[in-house]
Parts: sequence; structure tokens; C-alpha cells
Amino acid sequence: MKSFFRVLGLLSAVLLFCGAGDKNEDVVYIGAAGPFTGDHAYAGVGMLQGVQMAVEDANIKGPVFGNTKVKLLSLDDQHSPAQAVLASHKFVANPDVVGVVGHFNSSCTMPTSAIYHEARLVHITPASSNPEISRQGFDTFFRVCATDDIQGPAAALFAFSKLGVRKIAIIDDRTTYGHGLAMEFEKKFRELGGEILSRDGVTQGEKDFTPLLTKIKSERPELIFFGGIYPEFSLLIKGSKKLGLESPWMGGDGVYDVVLIKLATPKFAEGTYATMLGADPRAVPEAKDFVARYEARYGEIGSFSTYGYDAANVLIEAIRRAGTKDRAAVLREVRSTKDFRGVLGLINFDEKGDVVGQSIGIYKVENGKFVFIEEAKP
Amino acid sequence: MAPQVELFLQQLLNGLTIGMVYALIALGYTMVYGVIQLINFAHGDVFMVGAYLALSVIWLFMSFLPGASFLVMLLAVFILSMLGAALLGGAIEKIAYKPLRHSPKLTALITSIGVSFFLQNAVMLLVGSREQGVPEVVPTTRFNLGAFSFSLIQLIIFATALSLMFFLTWFVKSTKLGKAMRASSENMDAALLMGISVNRVIRATFAIGSALAAVGGALFCMYYGSINFHDGYLAGLKAFTAAVFGGIGSIPGAMLGGILLGVFEALGAGYISSEWKDVFAFLLLGAVLLFKPSGILGENLPEKV
Repeated sequence: MKSFFRVLGLLSAVLLFCGAGDKNEDVVYIGAAGPFTGDHAYAGVGMLQGVQMAVEDANIKGPVFGNTKVKLLSLDDQHSPAQAVLASHKFVANPDVVGVVGHFNSSCTMPTSAIYHEARLVHITPASSNPEISRQGFDTFFRVCATDDIQGPAAALFAFSKLGVRKIAIIDDRTTYGHGLAMEFEKKFRELGGEILSRDGVTQGEKDFTPLLTKIKSERPELIFFGGIYPEFSLLIKGSKKLGLESPWMGGDGVYDVVLIKLATPKFAEGTYATMLGADPRAVPEAKDFVARYEARYGEIGSFSTYGYDAANVLIEAIRRAGTKDRAAVLREVRSTKDFRGVLGLINFDEKGDVVGQSIGIYKVENGKFVFIEEAKP
Repeated sequence: MAPQVELFLQQLLNGLTIGMVYALIALGYTMVYGVIQLINFAHGDVFMVGAYLALSVIWLFMSFLPGASFLVMLLAVFILSMLGAALLGGAIEKIAYKPLRHSPKLTALITSIGVSFFLQNAVMLLVGSREQGVPEVVPTTRFNLGAFSFSLIQLIIFATALSLMFFLTWFVKSTKLGKAMRASSENMDAALLMGISVNRVIRATFAIGSALAAVGGALFCMYYGSINFHDGYLAGLKAFTAAVFGGIGSIPGAMLGGILLGVFEALGAGYISSEWKDVFAFLLLGAVLLFKPSGILGENLPEKV
């Protein structure tokens, strides 16, 4: 995978030179940033391929304006806030970059949103769901996925009324995303009248959760909610079942990944719940054509491929309408996006830049697969 | 048994289990330090390579001998990963440290950090950066003694680690090579004058330490069921802490230090806060360095190997 991106990087560099040499054809860049290597690479690459497909589709339609083609400039932030800031400065410094799709992780989008705001460069995140990001009031920030103040409560409501659980334990990985999601879940679950038996944190990259799970086992929760991502979640699930702790697990979009089931083994993952931002693209009839085209190109569709595709298309359409490389004009056009036909439905932004009409899909692992159970619309 | 007591014993067992793994890795740190006074920061990554070797052997078994009994598989996993890691450890010594034998100590230390980066990135490029799942080879049987219970893999970890520790103690005490190791650590020049091939002894120390770390890696990846290229970093730091805690250079110290560190961590995580788990481990390191820099067994054992 890494070498693939090296080649991709080299290729973009070569293309940059070609573009500069060719007088008749001009290029405008959209940036894409996310974890394309490292422990989030799988989800990040899924998003990147979505963006890539949008760029290719746009060029098939013809130049975005005059004789200008749109091209992709991708930078790997490795799921590290420090790398993300570095990447954002690179985008900002390149005058041909008029907008960015990214970043992926909330902990990366949070610090970079201030940098993009200062540079008046529009960015659309396809995956960062922490609600605090849009509460900062930056007019350059947009998001096409649902937020955790929708996702957390939807999960809590499902657990409380559909599963009928009353006593739960909550764990999170203390990241901007994981902690935020767990907080929103906890707030709603308490409001509904449920009891939180314990509230714990774990460190990302940790392997030994047996002491924590041994403690939780003694509390006998009816469900355990985890705010975090799949590598830790898989170890928690596996570790708990090996300890004889039979309570079912529930997690957010960060754990919704086929690899979770592989790592936790299908036997132990069985019965685990996960919420996901939006409906399953495979379950939405309008998205059927997109899913088929995507899978023919890149193989199985990733959890965030659709969002990457939609975010990039919103941006490309805005560039088309603006008809210029002026960042302020592109920003204005993204802001005036109205009833944009995305893969999963119509996209409109509210005044904070969040997508209107967010929905949450609820899934359960059955026979080693994530099965769509219901769509929760707040 | 009262539930409180039961919970305590269960946490103690969790701590002892991971403590055994820390002890196995810590032995390599302490032995190498004993002989050439080098903190080999690449040791944690040898542990990680050992875990990947174990995973490869498991895969080979699952693809070619799916019917093999898991005990046979375990034996093969241990032997092959030990061999592989011993070769790696010896090679690292020859390529990276031997040319620096007469350079300042700091040069070799910094080189070991370089070797650590090299191993991590080499493994990442070879197998990818994703978490690798380890197939369940050991049956997930649990044994119950009243309300207290333990699993088969925990039993295997105890048996393997304890027998290796006994074997190592005997080896260092009674064999010719073991005696040569002790002599070299006491006074390298004198050992050389007595006709001991010090270079061979140093290489053997690296090989044995690496083999022990590989067993630790094999047990670690089977216990948690997953392995990643950067897992050696934290495990290495913890084992280093354990070695310093026990008294760097002392073999019984490394064993005791590893086990105590595991228990300390598990009780801290279970009773105080699980997100502070690593903090407890490194607080311990800080406290030892401040109040008893020679470690718990460092002073009692002037003869350092």
C-alpha cells in the first residue's frame, strides 16, 4: 500500500511538472488528506479512492472551466495531528489548491480547521464527526457526514428502547473522536434513565486490557459501549469473551469496519452492535450505480468511500460554478450549495457547515458480517 | 470466596501473566547490559520480530498441517521463532555493534535506536501497517477453581516462562559458555587474557537474549491475538523499566522486576484507572531511578551477567 502511494505521489509530482510545461492546459488542485498509511489506512484509503473517482468523473465531463482540468493532490496525515498540520500548511502554500477534502480523524480536523480558516481555504471533511469542530464558528469548514451529537444519542436510544438494556459500562480511547462520542452517548443514556456502572479510558495502541475487563466483568453490565476505533475494540471484544464476560458490545462508526470482525474473530464478534454515519450505500437504491462502479474499480467499498466521493463532488461543482482559481470564490460557491445530489441523497449545509438531515445506520454482526438493522433519523 | 478477594486474585493473575512476558524480554536487556554495558533499544523490536515469526509459523501450520495437535504447533512456534530471533540478534550484534566496540558508549546506544527504527520500518514494509490478527491456536478452555478461573494460554505462559528462567539460571551458572559470560561481564580484559573468546561470548549473549524475547513475542501475540509492527516499542520500554527496576545487569532482578511490574500495572489498571496504566509503569521507573538507582536486586548481586 505504501509503495502504491509513493508511486501516486511521484505521479502527482510528474503531473505537476507536465501541467506547468503545457501552456494550453491549466490545472486546479483539490487536496485530500487523511491516514493513508498506519493503523487507520484502510478507512483513509477508502475515502481517498472515493475522492479519486470524483476527480476522474469530473474530467470525463470536461474541463471545470476554460481549459482547466481538476487534479488530486493527496497528502498522508498518518492519523497524527502533527502530520495533519504539516499537510495543511502544504495545501495552503500551493496557490493551485482551491479546496481540501479532509481530514479524516477529528483529532486531525480540529487543529487544521484553524489553519484553513486563516488561509480562507475551504475544506470538507468526509469523516470527522466530533461536533466541537463546527462549533468553533469557522466559515471555511464543511462536513458531509453526521456528527457525534446525533450518533451518540441515536446509539443510546437504540440500546435503551430497542435492546432494553438499563445498566451499562462505557469505555473510550480518550481521543477527540472516541471521548466525544462516548460523552454524547452517556449524556443521552442517563437522560433516558439508564445507569452507567463505570466509565473508563484506554490508550490507543495498548494491548493488555485484561485488568480493565476483569473489573468490568465484576460489575455485570448488560451492554458495554466503546468510543474509539476498531484495533482496540477488537482486542476488547476478544479479551472479554475469553474472560467469560458475555455482555454484548456496541461501538460507533470508528469500529464499523470488516477488519474488526476478522481481528476479533467472527465467533467472538457475533452479536456486536455498531452505528454508522448515514445509511449503508449498498442499501440505498440511488447509490447502486455508484457502488457497482466503485467496486469494479477498487474492490470492496470502504466505509467512507461514499463520503469522500460526495465531498469531492460538492467541491468540484463549486469550482465549476466559480470558474476561477480564486479561493474566496470557491468558498462562496461551496457555501451556496443547494440540494446537491449526492450518492446518499440531497446535500445542504446549515450555517455551521454541517450537513442537513443527518441519519445514522445501526448494524449488528451476524454470521460474521455487519447486517443493517435500522436507520435512525433524529 | 468473597467477590472482593476473588477480583483481587484475578487481577493478580492478570498481572503475573503479562509480568512473565515482561520478564522474558527484560532478561535480554539485562544480559546485554551485563556484558557490554549497552542498553540495546532494538531489543523490543526483536521481540516484535519474534512475534511475527511465531505468526508465520502458525500460518504455515494452518495451511500445510491443519490437523496437527496444538502442542506440536506450539513447540514448532517456540523453536523456530527462537532460532530466527537468535540469528537476528547475532546478526545485529555483528553488523551494528561490533564495529563500535571501542567507541564511546553513547555511540552504540544511539546506534541501537537506529537499529530499532530499521527493524520497525522493515517489518512495516514487509507485512504492512495494519494490525495482524493471530489465529486462535490454543483452545480457549478456562479452568475454574471455585470462582477463580484461568485460561489454558495463561497456564502455557507460566509454564514456558518459568521453565526458560530456570534453564537460563542453570545455563549461566553451570555451563562453560555461561561461566565465560559471567567472566566477561566481570572483567572483559581479564577474560580475554584467560583465553575466553569474548566476541563469541558477546554474540551468544545477544542470541540468547533475542531468543528469549522471541518466546515472549510468541506468547504475547497468542495471548492477545493481534500484533502490529510498533508493538515492540512499548513492550520494549516496559521490559527496560522492569530490568532497571530489578537491577540492570542482574538476571534474577530482571525476572523479579518483570513480574512485579506486571502486577503493579494490573492492580493499578484494575483498581485506580486503566488509562493510567502506562503511567504507573513509568512512575515506577522514575521512583527506582530516584531512590534506588541500583534496582531491587542490583546491590545484592555484585557479580553481574
